[in-house]
Amino acid sequence: MISRQSIIVARWEFLRFFKWKQQLISYLVMMAIMAAVALWSYFTDESRSVYRIAVPAEFNISNTGQFQFQRPTIALAEQLAQLKDAQTWHGVLTLEPASAEDSAAEHSVVLHTLAAKKWQQQLQTELTRHFRQQYATELNLSPAQLAQLEQPLALEYAYLDQSFKGKDTPEKMIALAVLILLFIGLSTAFGQVLLSITGEKQQRVTEQLYAIVTPQQWMDGKVLGHSLSAMKAMLTSALVMLLVFIVVSVVVRDDGVNLSWLNWGVLAWLLPFALLGVLLSACFMGAIAASIDDPNTSGKGAVMMITWLPMLFTYLVIDSPTGNAMTILSWLPLTSFAAMPVRLAMVDLAWWQPALSMLILLATLYWLRRLAGRIFLRGMQMYGKEPSWGQIVGWALSNKAD
Amino acid sequence: MQLIVTAINKDYANISAVRNVSFQINSGDIFALLGPNGAGKSSIIRMLVGMTRPDSGSIMVSYQHEHYDHVPRRLLGYLPEDRGLYPDKSIEKNLLYLAQLHGLSKPKALQEMAHWLDIFELTDRRHEDLKQLSKGNQQKVQLIAAVLHRPALVILDEPFSGLDPLNQEKVVEFLKALKAQGMTVILSAHQMAMVEKLADHMLLMAQGRVILAGTLATIKQQAAPQRQIQISCTEPVTIGQLQQWLPGLSIEQQHATRFLLKLNAEQRVSATLQQLLQHLELTQVEMQTADLHQLYLSAMAQHQLTEQA
Repeated sequence: MISRQSIIVARWEFLRFFKWKQQLISYLVMMAIMAAVALWSYFTDESRSVYRIAVPAEFNISNTGQFQFQRPTIALAEQLAQLKDAQTWHGVLTLEPASAEDSAAEHSVVLHTLAAKKWQQQLQTELTRHFRQQYATELNLSPAQLAQLEQPLALEYAYLDQSFKGKDTPEKMIALAVLILLFIGLSTAFGQVLLSITGEKQQRVTEQLYAIVTPQQWMDGKVLGHSLSAMKAMLTSALVMLLVFIVVSVVVRDDGVNLSWLNWGVLAWLLPFALLGVLLSACFMGAIAASIDDPNTSGKGAVMMITWLPMLFTYLVIDSPTGNAMTILSWLPLTSFAAMPVRLAMVDLAWWQPALSMLILLATLYWLRRLAGRIFLRGMQMYGKEPSWGQIVGWALSNKAD
Repeated sequence: MQLIVTAINKDYANISAVRNVSFQINSGDIFALLGPNGAGKSSIIRMLVGMTRPDSGSIMVSYQHEHYDHVPRRLLGYLPEDRGLYPDKSIEKNLLYLAQLHGLSKPKALQEMAHWLDIFELTDRRHEDLKQLSKGNQQKVQLIAAVLHRPALVILDEPFSGLDPLNQEKVVEFLKALKAQGMTVILSAHQMAMVEKLADHMLLMAQGRVILAGTLATIKQQAAPQRQIQISCTEPVTIGQLQQWLPGLSIEQQHATRFLLKLNAEQRVSATLQQLLQHLELTQVEMQTADLHQLYLSAMAQHQLTEQA
């Protein structure tokens, strides 16, 4: 089905955008940026400093590691003057009678300070804890009773649908990861397909290539090459994810590497769906890019982003894997590559369901591949004119090869 | 191989690009398509390449006892009018890619590449990116790309455009080499002097129609039945005197002692010269024939007059 020429085009396209040195450099730059962000956040972390807060003499709050509460005997105006001029304190706290609108509280707490700083949010947390403790004491509540009050409701679920595997299973995490990887892969393919096809048109290579390979061989090669690029991006990202998991497991949690949560049965379905999804999306992108004459003036490029919708739609209904929306998405050939793996990961399905869905997906891929080839040929025959959407729909419905 | 094009027509929207065009090309011929911009040359080439199909008429190819109703890709080498390769790839990578697409193995492709790069004196630059080359050198790479796989039929749309005279001569030599190797060449060009040196057969077109067709000799016969004699004499004479001695002859004075005599089909060269020798002593007599450029201009002017009429 795939000719030798298509393989040569695919190899050329894949290697054209595969620049391992640049890729390595980009990873190093990315890591350097992440390290810089981490260092910046470490050195600007205000929680490690100690702040002096002046409070009224009757305000019975204990010091913490971060905050020292001082009770100066001088008047408030003088305290504020010292705060402003000598920065004796980082803040001055006053308790003022509550306003008429806020009748629930006895008094309002005012923090006088020079300007907004991050530590003030941490102070608010400390003050909230203090006042909650104080109210509990006033109500004669023991620490255990207070803890119970603060405890959220522990609602447990008992699912009667035996096919539903559970809400937050490792399989769901895998499905989510695949959605993210698909998004990364298709984003890579999006840029490359657009650049490669319209670039060839602009560099006037297309007519020469037409004399050597058929439009279908050309399109097959492009789709295959850019799908390989997308899969390479997905694989690299998956390896990075795995690396992060290993580092967190070994270094942070000191647990060792445990991959027993990986469900190989689900993965066996997931990978071919993802592969077909990438091929289908690359065909769609190829068809649209082939209809673009000049990417600088055409509005069709943005339509290629439609290929992101299956992931977004699936993500929006991921918490209802047995619902109608997810079921429909998992059967529709343009969305099944994203939705069926998620359903599979979260619901026990009869084997024929993913198999049939995959068959429909395969048939759609074949049709879309042929359509992309037709659009490329017809687009070339128009010589510098961009086909209208009406013409493209006409070609999609027609079965004529040329 | 043999290519027979019979009565092909092609319309684009309201424009009739090609009207009832027929021609035949035999193996090893260099065939030139001539005509002003918009004459229909590129439309014919695109039909031959298979990018479009004729609305009517036929294109038949015979090659090694096989017959086709189109030009098979494997027999074809093509240099489009709008051309380009991958500017950020080296000459070698560009050519290797196209050669492999044509079905050549890597060693064979490298061998052919070395041969053609040597001819075009580009061997030392084969690792340079295409964008680093001059336009002329890029054009040479394009030409190599069209013939690397030694096709039976090479179609070159404007192969001389963008080249300086020295490189144009190189392309002439290149095309002669293709002919010597048995390849059939179809080219479209505006450089009549180059075509005149090369083409076995030619087709002069205007507004989609054939105006003149045949070998250079037959075209000269069709387009310029008028013969011209340039004479130089020992003493100055006037046109008036000459017209008196040679009634009915068109005469053009080029110098005090040099004239161009234009004879029509009925006027004989020997009789004209005998008549002159009775009055003048001639130092030089030279028969002149119109070159392709002049024929082209005269045929186009004739066509315009016919169209207006």
